[in-house]
Amino acid sequence: MGLMVALIEASKLALSSIPNIELTSFWIIMFTLFFGWKVIAVVIVFILIEGAIYGIQLWWVMYLYAWPLLVLITRIFRKNTSAVFWAFISGIFGLCFGALCSIPYFFIGMSTGGVTAGFRSAFTWWVAGIPWDFVHCAGNFIIMLILYRPISTAMKWMSQGDGVTGS
Amino acid sequence: MERSTKRMIIIASVVLCVLIAVFAIVYKMNKPSANAGSKDIVIEVTGSDGKSTEYDISTDSQYLIEAMDELAGNGSGFSYSGSDSEYGIVIESINGEKAIFDQDNAYWALYVNGEYAQNGAGSQPVESGSTYTWTYEAAK
Repeated sequence: MGLMVALIEASKLALSSIPNIELTSFWIIMFTLFFGWKVIAVVIVFILIEGAIYGIQLWWVMYLYAWPLLVLITRIFRKNTSAVFWAFISGIFGLCFGALCSIPYFFIGMSTGGVTAGFRSAFTWWVAGIPWDFVHCAGNFIIMLILYRPISTAMKWMSQGDGVTGS
Repeated sequence: MERSTKRMIIIASVVLCVLIAVFAIVYKMNKPSANAGSKDIVIEVTGSDGKSTEYDISTDSQYLIEAMDELAGNGSGFSYSGSDSEYGIVIESINGEKAIFDQDNAYWALYVNGEYAQNGAGSQPVESGSTYTWTYEAAK
């Protein structure tokens, strides 16, 4: 588990200078495909470490549901082994990330001006980030398309005989 | 490739295409817009010591960041620096005073006519008669 968290954190740090290009989605999908629900523990540790490093801010609340949601989606489609299919799933997740992250702004807006203000606050925040959601989508799609096969092969090779794959 | 896999790929690709189209339309219809033309605005800077400096500028800029560039280049004494992020430029220093959240536990907050801005400097439309205030704010 430590190795998986370290891999996610190292990849995140390495790509931190490029906005919205990340390997976190890729690793969470790959780990979920190979290790099943056990990955929830990895996601929890990853979220806690992120909070410890960068502080518990609003974005951290978004992490609490966004990454577990990706694990859930991956589990639903786990029998699919097509790189193209997973590229689409990863791309869709990247595209919707901004919309997912706008949810806390609904509650912030609602706390000051009611439901209408909540929707306006979340909507404004989401719309402002849409161009970057496109970047996120393209990045996730390409990364998955390129890395799915080699990493999948490497993980199969590493897990042979270890009995670590999920069901 | 199995037939079911092919079907799933087609469904996923259609979902992605539809989402891209919807997002693009929503963005086009709702993105922050600006009116071109000569505008008289005030850019105000309130530093960590609470002292404010006001800069009056007539500009054709559509977005605040362009007016700030104009102001920085016209010998007014105003200066700023920032870095790119997923939501546009993040202002890190104004008039030599640095406020990088991770390092200084403070940030430069933007107010438009006294209200907390809904946009960053790169997407904040410039409207004549408005006051744009940059305030050094320490995290609480």
